[in-house]
Amino acid sequence: MKLYAGKPLYFAVLCPAALMLSLSCRADFSGTLDQEWAYGTAGTHESQKFESIIEPEWREFWGESSITARARLRADTVGSLGAEKRRPINYSKMNGPVYNDAHAELTLRELYIDGAMESHGAIPEMTWRMGKQQVVWGQADGLKVLDVVNPQSYREFILDQFDDSRIPLWMLNVSWIFDNSSSLQVLWVPDTSVHELAEVGSTYQMTTPLLVPRLRLAPGQQVQVDTDHSPSNAFEDSDAGFRYSIFWRGWDLTLNYFYHYQDTPAIYQIATPSGAILRPEYKRDHLFGGTASNAMGDFTLRTEFGYHSDSYFLADSPASGGIQNSPEIASVIGLDWQGLSDTLISVQWFQSYLLKSDLSTQRHQTEHTLTGLARRNFQNDTWEAQVLVLHAITQHDGLVRPKVTHALLSQLDVWIAADLFYGRTKGLYGQFDHNDRILLGFELGF
Amino acid sequence: MKTTQVPLMERFFSVVVRYPKTLVLLSLVIFIATLSLLPKLVKDTRSDAFLEASNPALLYRDKVKEQFGLSDPMVIVLVNEGENGIYTPSSMALINWLTEKVSTLPNVDADHVVSLATEKNILGTTEGMEVTPFFDPIPQSKESLHALRSAIEDFPLYQGTLVSTGGNATVIAIQIQNEQQVESTYQAILALVNQAELSEQEKLYVAGEGAIAGYLGGYIDKDAKRLNPLAGLIITFIIIIAFRRFSPGLLGNVIIAASVLMTLGIMAAHGTPFFVITNAMPVILIGISVADAIHIFSHYFDLQARKPETNASVLVQETMAEMWRPVTLTSLTTAAGFLGLYFASYMPPFKYFGLFTALGVMIAWLYSMIFLPAAIAAMKPKVSRHFIRVQAASSHDLFSRAMQALGHLSLKKAPVTVGVFALLALLGGYSASHLKVDENRIGTFHPSEPIVAADKAINSYLNGSSNLDVVVETPAPEDLFDPVNLRKIEALQAYAETLPHVTGTTSIVDYLKQMNRALTGGAMANYVLPDSRDLVAQYFLIYSASGNPTDFQEEVDYDYRLANISITLNEGRFSETRPVVEALQNYIDNEFNSATIKANMSGRVNLNYHWIKDLGNSHFLGLGLALLLVWLVTSLLFRSTTAGFYALIPVVSSILLVYSAMVHLGINLGIGTSMFASVAIGLGVDFAIHTIDRLRTLYREHNGDLEAALSALYPSTGRALLFNFLAIACGFGVLISSKVVPLNNFGTIVALAVTTSFLASMTLLPALIKVFRPAFITGEHVNRKIPLRWSEPVIIAAFASTIGLLYGYSTPAQANEMPEGAWIVAQINQQPDGEQVTQQIIMTMIDRSGKSREQETTGFRKYIGDEKRTLLVYNAPSTVKNTSFLTYDYRDGKVEDDQWLYLPALRKVRRISASNRGDYFLGTDFTYEDIKKERKIEVGDYQFTTLEEIPGDGYTEYLFEAIPRTREIAEELGYGRVQYRVRSDNWVIFAAEYWDTKDQHLKSLSVDDIRQVDGIWTRHTLKIKNHKTQHETIFHVKAVDYRTELKDSLFSTHTMSRGL
Repeated sequence: MKLYAGKPLYFAVLCPAALMLSLSCRADFSGTLDQEWAYGTAGTHESQKFESIIEPEWREFWGESSITARARLRADTVGSLGAEKRRPINYSKMNGPVYNDAHAELTLRELYIDGAMESHGAIPEMTWRMGKQQVVWGQADGLKVLDVVNPQSYREFILDQFDDSRIPLWMLNVSWIFDNSSSLQVLWVPDTSVHELAEVGSTYQMTTPLLVPRLRLAPGQQVQVDTDHSPSNAFEDSDAGFRYSIFWRGWDLTLNYFYHYQDTPAIYQIATPSGAILRPEYKRDHLFGGTASNAMGDFTLRTEFGYHSDSYFLADSPASGGIQNSPEIASVIGLDWQGLSDTLISVQWFQSYLLKSDLSTQRHQTEHTLTGLARRNFQNDTWEAQVLVLHAITQHDGLVRPKVTHALLSQLDVWIAADLFYGRTKGLYGQFDHNDRILLGFELGF
Repeated sequence: MKTTQVPLMERFFSVVVRYPKTLVLLSLVIFIATLSLLPKLVKDTRSDAFLEASNPALLYRDKVKEQFGLSDPMVIVLVNEGENGIYTPSSMALINWLTEKVSTLPNVDADHVVSLATEKNILGTTEGMEVTPFFDPIPQSKESLHALRSAIEDFPLYQGTLVSTGGNATVIAIQIQNEQQVESTYQAILALVNQAELSEQEKLYVAGEGAIAGYLGGYIDKDAKRLNPLAGLIITFIIIIAFRRFSPGLLGNVIIAASVLMTLGIMAAHGTPFFVITNAMPVILIGISVADAIHIFSHYFDLQARKPETNASVLVQETMAEMWRPVTLTSLTTAAGFLGLYFASYMPPFKYFGLFTALGVMIAWLYSMIFLPAAIAAMKPKVSRHFIRVQAASSHDLFSRAMQALGHLSLKKAPVTVGVFALLALLGGYSASHLKVDENRIGTFHPSEPIVAADKAINSYLNGSSNLDVVVETPAPEDLFDPVNLRKIEALQAYAETLPHVTGTTSIVDYLKQMNRALTGGAMANYVLPDSRDLVAQYFLIYSASGNPTDFQEEVDYDYRLANISITLNEGRFSETRPVVEALQNYIDNEFNSATIKANMSGRVNLNYHWIKDLGNSHFLGLGLALLLVWLVTSLLFRSTTAGFYALIPVVSSILLVYSAMVHLGINLGIGTSMFASVAIGLGVDFAIHTIDRLRTLYREHNGDLEAALSALYPSTGRALLFNFLAIACGFGVLISSKVVPLNNFGTIVALAVTTSFLASMTLLPALIKVFRPAFITGEHVNRKIPLRWSEPVIIAAFASTIGLLYGYSTPAQANEMPEGAWIVAQINQQPDGEQVTQQIIMTMIDRSGKSREQETTGFRKYIGDEKRTLLVYNAPSTVKNTSFLTYDYRDGKVEDDQWLYLPALRKVRRISASNRGDYFLGTDFTYEDIKKERKIEVGDYQFTTLEEIPGDGYTEYLFEAIPRTREIAEELGYGRVQYRVRSDNWVIFAAEYWDTKDQHLKSLSVDDIRQVDGIWTRHTLKIKNHKTQHETIFHVKAVDYRTELKDSLFSTHTMSRGL
């Protein structure tokens, strides 16, 4: 077994942790065991996964400070989702699984120290979190506009829970709390890991022309992939940003800025006599954005918008290597309704608009997606039934996700669910139309 | 608990003077923004406005109105003093023209215009009966006029009602459709009357209750437009004289404008109309709002004269540090006086007058506390040289010297002063017992007004302008054909006509008699009721052959089951109509009290009787409440109940003196005068408070020399109080010139009351203090300045509101004298629950099969300002670990709470709706509202009734019921009613039963292990069972800690997402 991850960072966290442990006044250990079986109902009628995930969490308190560690052991008897015995290429040197193959994975999911400083005179109260962690921005559910701080694993497309699929990064996360109602969060992210895409040949390998270049090769021609263009320098290539949050007259407002590498590569196609070279390049982007939400009677309004200074898309433009870029505005308007007891009805309208109009990109200049969620709890919240629908208006495809969960015991939830894709195979969702599946699972807390 | 004392206010004023221009601008912006609401203000000058819309008398009147098409009519009276009276061609033409024109006016009910031109004669003919209009054709020839005169004089029903007995006057009675538009209809009729061509002998008048209401609207406007600027001018003049500077006058006027116009704007926004008596409010507010400015300027200039080199901002700060306290106190007591009126009165105009004047007083206070110091700091007005000269020469100006002389006079022989006032008080007490409650609607107007002349004309020529209706009801259609019933009606009419001021009665009986006479030869002896049921039926049938079936619609209903008896009086005065109403009621109770016939009274006189009869009680109740509130406030302020009594002495003397004056001047307790007491208390007590407050300081400054303290009182405080008094007295004095008579009376007696209060505060009060040397002035404890906590006014206001609520929501006293439910709830809600608390809650949820789930949470709660913030974080099981729930609960029940939920699976804080208070909280059997309110009950949601009182060992157990005030609240909460059990030794609810909105038993709560933690009664086990689902939830509360300081930032979404 080889330890891939960056040792210095482990030490940076573990040394103080060891010190804290020796002086610790309280420790807390808990964990969950998730077991889920996914069975494909279309196409091959095969199991997609039979997966156990154990996530132990350990937390040690020392006065106002604490250290948290969370590991994940995944074992999948089917083995059709992950990579075959090699380290996924998306991780930076300091990140990545401790062990990985098609059937098993062991990761240190999170390891961070929390600390705080009281306000003193003009200096406001400050909290900080240093280490490997997840930071979630934004107000939208299921769709991402501002939730871009951590990259994501697409080994199960977007079907896995975001909390499980989000890739924690090493970062410094400092917040100043000015009064009861506003705070400023500043992030510095030296970890340059990016999205993990599904392995070639795996169940959820992307095929949509929106994301995958279509190459026309003559017989005998070959494709080479030039992978040596991902950001790797912890300082030069680090991401940084801030979020200012305020509670103002009943409104939760945030203002966000993030200077980062986009986690999806722009895949340039360079024609050569022997075929083509694909060169994935990760690009810098300024993201400006904000969120606003408020509850009004039975309704809750959630809005989120973001402006990307440079977004890159596959295009029908050989001269520019099959890639075009444009500033992009993306926004989500969501409305939740809780007018009936134990019931939530939520709709969201997501739209993305490219500010340049003379492009020949695979995607449309404007893309719309609607989501709908209906959820109802029964019998003192021991039963929960929900249906989530994502429908891409522009691409005419979508995903329907019904799920029923039952709290069998205090510590034990069981569920049955389905993920049903529909629409054109060129679409983001429609590409998996043959991957419809039903799921059975349980979660046990300990 | 940490307390914030006076320095907090000093800090506050330092901020005010640091940003003067911003604050002045802000004040003006708020002022202007509120002004924009003013156009929505509506007037309501109807007499009906004095009764609640739900009053049975009013509802019945409306029913009658609908049934018989009767409203308060407007009446055009044509008087012709010529030899032939109205029987001239020109008068006939005029009546016809007016009738036609009036019928076409908007809002006039054309079917209910009654005049000679519309009425018909009933004559017997060989074929039977002939019903012919009097004006068919319009009588113009001498013969036809003579025939008309004979016909009218031969028709008893029309004598005195349609045409005067001597033939000199006739009426055109007009019913209007919408009483809200009465003013414009009145103006249209007046315009028509002015167009009429009259001969020398002819005169036209417009009278009647409808006309009075119509006239009153414009009358009030005119009066207000004259009075308000006059009051403002006089007061500005007084201020300028007092300080010999223009700026105080200007700033005083801004405060006046803010107080008056913002209050009216808020009234408009609230949908409260401008009633007749609201007219007094602006003038009162003008007087009151400037008083604070006078005291503040007086102190500021005084300081400036003494320290001419000091920066204006510093002086303003010093001034406000000294003056905010008395100014706040007097504003509170004044507001309390007006609130007394609000709580005690049952008539909407009085209630709202009390409420909004109290609001206006508090707006004036707010502007005096923020705008005024900011404006002074910005403008930096310089004290007049005269003032400095006086100061430098250590002498006092004319006003100071006058006050000194007054002090000298009263204190020289203090016992004599006390004796004189005691004598006056005795006289007043005696007079009060002779006070007469009376009201006359027409008396609202100045005697020189045309409406008064019109009223006189109708009362002298015709039967009168006051009207009473008796509605007779029988069980079945055509029961009124029965001669027995008709004779009962006839007897009632005969009885009514024996009563004083009753000039005539009209009913279907009169028409039947006339028909009988017409059909039986026309002799006057046959002017009697037919004696068989069939005959009556036939008469109506015969009539309908030549008359119009709607001719009797004002006397009888379509199926002859209901009849209206119209009784006319020539007097509207309450004292004169009261015996008539009561005698008639008595007669009805005895004679119309069977299954076959019943009767009820209606009409204007009856309505007026209903709202005026309790005026006296309401007045004395208001007086009592105002005295109680003011006593409470002053006792709390001075930390002495005796001081509370002393402060009341000047106002009580003034009220007694006013009673005495009213009796001797013949002023009755009516609409305008009945509210004087609350106003006089609120205003008058200010002088006493300033006197006592200042005397305490002076006593301390003069090292316990009371004589020296007393004589030092007059030149400074006495002078300021003199101007304060002059401003208020002149403000009210202006009302004396009002043409609205009740306002005029009101102004007179309030001016008298305020003068007496001022004089008593300057003479009697110091004399009493000199004679009795009360401990609140001379006691040891007053040798230090009592700091006034900022929270005290809040406590006082809350206390006053609680009293009001208890009064307002109280149910009639029960036979066994159990305490009111609202009082019990007040006890529960008043129990301390700690500024903050941290606790562990283990939630066990058990379903109907006995299967249980357990969740562990940590709960935090803290009061931050006006908000209660609660954070609940789940610790176990690990499937829900770190889920958290945050609530901001605002004191203002109208502001919806803010709530957030953090779901670890999403790693997002999600804003959630707080509107479903009745939803169950995260799978438990408690609702969100139960969790939020903890051990308290939201007073605004329920009405409470005490059901049972069980004596225990050293405590009493109470069972009381809470019923949601409205259906909507019940739906929101999910409860149709709740019964709580509580013990008086800890006031913690230990059991409750809940019923749903269909009154099915929903849940049972039992609370065990109630014990004190850090001195606070704390519930440790709560079991709640849902009888519908058989699901049960048990909360075990442990590790309760009220002491550990919780940071405000703990209650934030930041904490939720970061975890504890």
